[in-house]
Amino acid sequence: MTVLRKREETMRKFTLASVIMATTALTTPAFADDHLKIVDEPLELTIHLHWPRQQGYNENFPVEKAAREMTGIYLKDATAGRNSTDSMEAMNLLIAQGNMPDIVGGHRIRQPVNQYGPEGAFLPLNDLVAEHAPHIQAFWDAHPELQQAITAYDGNYYYIPYLPDGMFGRAWYVRQDWLDKLGLEQPQNVDELHDVLVAFRDGDPNGNGRKDEVPFFAREWEEVIRLVTLWDARSTGSDTFHDFYVTDDGKVVHPYAQDGYRDAMSHIAEWYAEGLIDAEIFTRGSSARDYLLSENLGGMTHDWFASTSGYNAALKDKVEGFDFKPFLPPASVSGVRMEEHRRTPLKPDGWAISYMNEHPVETIKYFDFWFTEEGRNLSNFGVEGETWDMIDGEPIFKPEVLNSDKPVNTQMYEVGAQIYRGYWMDYRYEWQWTDEDAREGIKLYEANDLLVDQFLGVSFNEEEQSVYDKYWPSLYTYMLERQQAWILGSGDIEADWDSYIQTLDKMGYSQVIEVMNSAYQRQYDE
Amino acid sequence: MSGVRLDKIVKSYGAVQVVHGIDLEIKDKEFVVLVGPSGCGKSTTLRMIAGLEEISDGSLTIDDRVVNRVAPKDRDVAMVFQNYALYPHLNVADNIAFGLRIRKESKDAIKASVDEVGAILGLTPYLERRPSDLSGGQRQRVAMGRAIVRRPKVFLFDEPLSNLDAKLRTQMRAEIKRLHKRLEATSIYVTHDQVEAMTLADKIVVMQDGRIEQIGTPMELFLNPANAFVAGFLGAPPMNMINAVVAKGENGPIASFDGQTLPLPALPDLQNAEGRPIIVGIRPEYANIVTAPQPGSVNCTLNLVETLGSEALLHATVGDDQFVIRTETLGKIDQLDHVNGFTVDPTLIRIFDAKTGKALGGQTRVA
Amino acid sequence: MTMTDNKIGGSTEELVVEAGEAQRNRRPSRMNRVGDHLRREWQLYLLLLPTILWLLIFLYKPMYGLQIAFKDYSVFRGVAGSPWVGLEHFYTLFENDQFIRALRNTIYISLLGLVFGFPMPIILALMFNEVVNQLFKKTAQTIVYLPHFISSVIIAGIVITAFSPSAGIVNTVMGWFGLNPIYFLTKAEWFRPIFVGTGIWQEAGFQSIVYLAAIAGISPTLYESAVVDGATRFQMMWKITLPMILPTIIIMLIIRIGNMLEVSFEMIILLYQPATYETADVVNTFIYRQGIQGGQYDLAAAAGLFNAFVAFVLVMTANTISKRYSRTSLW
Repeated sequence: MTVLRKREETMRKFTLASVIMATTALTTPAFADDHLKIVDEPLELTIHLHWPRQQGYNENFPVEKAAREMTGIYLKDATAGRNSTDSMEAMNLLIAQGNMPDIVGGHRIRQPVNQYGPEGAFLPLNDLVAEHAPHIQAFWDAHPELQQAITAYDGNYYYIPYLPDGMFGRAWYVRQDWLDKLGLEQPQNVDELHDVLVAFRDGDPNGNGRKDEVPFFAREWEEVIRLVTLWDARSTGSDTFHDFYVTDDGKVVHPYAQDGYRDAMSHIAEWYAEGLIDAEIFTRGSSARDYLLSENLGGMTHDWFASTSGYNAALKDKVEGFDFKPFLPPASVSGVRMEEHRRTPLKPDGWAISYMNEHPVETIKYFDFWFTEEGRNLSNFGVEGETWDMIDGEPIFKPEVLNSDKPVNTQMYEVGAQIYRGYWMDYRYEWQWTDEDAREGIKLYEANDLLVDQFLGVSFNEEEQSVYDKYWPSLYTYMLERQQAWILGSGDIEADWDSYIQTLDKMGYSQVIEVMNSAYQRQYDE
Repeated sequence: MSGVRLDKIVKSYGAVQVVHGIDLEIKDKEFVVLVGPSGCGKSTTLRMIAGLEEISDGSLTIDDRVVNRVAPKDRDVAMVFQNYALYPHLNVADNIAFGLRIRKESKDAIKASVDEVGAILGLTPYLERRPSDLSGGQRQRVAMGRAIVRRPKVFLFDEPLSNLDAKLRTQMRAEIKRLHKRLEATSIYVTHDQVEAMTLADKIVVMQDGRIEQIGTPMELFLNPANAFVAGFLGAPPMNMINAVVAKGENGPIASFDGQTLPLPALPDLQNAEGRPIIVGIRPEYANIVTAPQPGSVNCTLNLVETLGSEALLHATVGDDQFVIRTETLGKIDQLDHVNGFTVDPTLIRIFDAKTGKALGGQTRVA
Repeated sequence: MTMTDNKIGGSTEELVVEAGEAQRNRRPSRMNRVGDHLRREWQLYLLLLPTILWLLIFLYKPMYGLQIAFKDYSVFRGVAGSPWVGLEHFYTLFENDQFIRALRNTIYISLLGLVFGFPMPIILALMFNEVVNQLFKKTAQTIVYLPHFISSVIIAGIVITAFSPSAGIVNTVMGWFGLNPIYFLTKAEWFRPIFVGTGIWQEAGFQSIVYLAAIAGISPTLYESAVVDGATRFQMMWKITLPMILPTIIIMLIIRIGNMLEVSFEMIILLYQPATYETADVVNTFIYRQGIQGGQYDLAAAAGLFNAFVAFVLVMTANTISKRYSRTSLW
């Protein structure tokens, strides 16, 4: 009875939607054929989709309407925890309330999905994908390490992730006009970098007669730790700060427990003491870049390509001659040029199928739809003919999209593209609205072999998780405490090192590394 | 010499004048009671003397020194407040010692003074107690102790007994009287209770609407009220007032009212004053009951008899006016219910001008 | 003889009968009394109902969840479905040096806050009470109340800016006296003074309202009497105002002691740095890092429960001491 009623309601809504769609059908000829239809009768699936920008799935997204038309499946919003912007909190609320929608997705679902999937809250996807989702399976076949990365400790994987495209995220930026003024070249190695920073400090490149220049600054103080790569150490293994990394011989270790880190940090402490690094690096916060660039004080940073290049246009009239240019990472003491940061190929975001879903096959087919060419274009660029056109086989944004006052990504979020479903990002989306300076920088970086392998994380079983939970937060706290103390000069890393390592061991570092490696081997070694 | 003199003292709050130029001379060691209905300005006057209210105009002299601008503490006055103003966090001894401590007197001197005052007031057993553990009368005594201990030139009392029940009030009244006799300090006492005024005062000052109506000894005021207000205010029950006109009688002026007449004293003001509207004032005590009309008696209609034991109050009407007679019960108890009139000695009758309320004629002879 | 016997027998019988009657009557009469009472006073109970429901739903029902402090909690299995682990989480906590440090810091910061922060609103209230000019008083009060209404994020921003080594007002002023700039917010030894000072700046004004209200309740004749006795304003403040608001002060103190361990945690999060964890990390921030960020709700619940337990002991002790020595107490 209720099922029938629901069905009827579904039909009615669907018809209404079809009418709306039909009015735009003239400009969207691609919808005409049915080769992507998953179901003959329209099927409604409920969805929890929670991410910081938006809490809930908008059933009126043009992208959703188009997907509905193409697949016959339509999503009904059933998001929990709308009053919080914390997606983890929303997820916990959803799981705790017991009644789960068909699809559970959004920001940072990897950990809960891998924890509660094996407990029975989510369906394992391996067989479903192999049987019903050829496009997803094809992606895994091409990127087996990514499938390994999302695999839970029981060997199954439970969600289809958001898969970013493109390689470079952050880059080194320097005030080219300051270099020119001081008659310097872009630094190519550590020593030259030191010289440039010293010159920035002493040479009054902003010409105000005061020694107020901040040679190296960063919005996130962790970027200072990144400088350890100049002495061949590591600050992190992934796009998350302070993360574990995998050594060349395939062991998971933490960068802050390595000898290389000790030597590198002592240099950073020196640089800080010399005034080459922003003295207020730890408290300046997210407005550091805005403030120091617009006040003509900051000389060099390490930050995202797209947003950092934007300052050239923004400050053109405010700071005379302002020219903030990306340059290649200076070679380390051993001659290695390394850009430690890169876009992760895999996000902990995406979507999963809950155990209460009565249509797993249709759902996985629906997930697969987003990996088809049509689905991928839809998820990346929005609805064809509305926000973009196919020109010479390339999806190209309409000029009014590119020239709008609103950033392109915001426009995409508004139509339901580039949101936290499990989809494969197409870098052409971002490239089209990346400004010229940044494109050049990216090309420069691409032309060189700068990237290092990423640590894509592990899935713990229950025992490993409890060991990790018991020791890791305290270890992490202790490492960061010492780290800041060394930079600020309230401790000497060379003198402290032995007791530091002993303390780490006492606090369970080796236990954490043990469970990390056992999980890593289970997950990545065939 | 600790006399207090008020010379055309005025108090105004903004444009509103509440005390209209009071003149008052208080002699050393005199006990003066300011009495009047609430809002008559008596408390304000007292507070001006204490220095708690600024004096708007006129001059205040204490001990031959003009103190208008002198701080309260330098006027050498002590005040007892209606709600005692005791510090709940201090015990009795400390409360009494408060003023001395403020003046940084030596510990021994303070202790001696407190002990002495405690003994005077019968508070010795209670010195260690907090005010919350005392009865109302004891608190009142502590409040007085606080004033006494400072040995001021002038004591000021602001309705000190009005928070006590009737029995305690009578008892405390006597104590204050005794205390004054013993300390012989100039005292100014504010009350709205005419009994307190009558019993305590060397000199009563009756006030109304910011003005002094009459100053005099209790008996002066009782016997020769200057006007109908004073007459009505003092005495319990108050003086009966009968509206009448002057008529000519066989032996002089008579009052005519309600078809009856009453012989009046032969006052010059009443000669040839036929038809003049007057108020005939007769104190309840001076009316002698009659049960059958007699020559010169006034008829009244008895409404209610209140028997109080040795005496009784007879509530009656004369014409439209209420009339209360106070009479002894001894030997008369059988008659009381049959009273239908009264006689009165013409010399005890007070006559007031109906318009101004001013008393007409001379003094009542004090027997 | 027999007469007497009969008499005694009779009276005993009567007594028994009476007692039985009383017994029979009492039950229904008590029931009736409750019924009568409810019928008579139902409006009062109706008024009480929302509060009782609020207490039950928002305070008592969540207590059910406290048991996860003794369980290996999984959100998916739920509170009831998670297995018991006894005191394991408490052992984990007390084996952790950082928890011990956080506990020590919590107590230290709380005590500093108590010693310096508690008297401030009282002093402010006393000062406001002495101000004669109404316009000045109103303005000054508004200014000191203001920080209370500003969000902690903004307050923290102001503090960070004020203590900045390059542009901060504090270092600028120090510069005038030839002192070298100090990067205050990364110095562990400066965290506590800055934090406690910020707390005072933010809350002292608003907290003074309670004391101002208490002062307003003091009978003016107490002051008049003191004026006549020759007391100066300072003497009146010291000997009348302060003792008279002492009960309020004590009640506030007991409440404050009860909340002592609830150090303003969002302010700490905003102001602390790994470099200042040594003095800044408190139980709540520890719980936040360890529990909420790390997803260990059971451990966080254990730490929170312990915190509440300590607070309970503190408030009971304070109340008992106060009851004994000052006759003022919360209950």
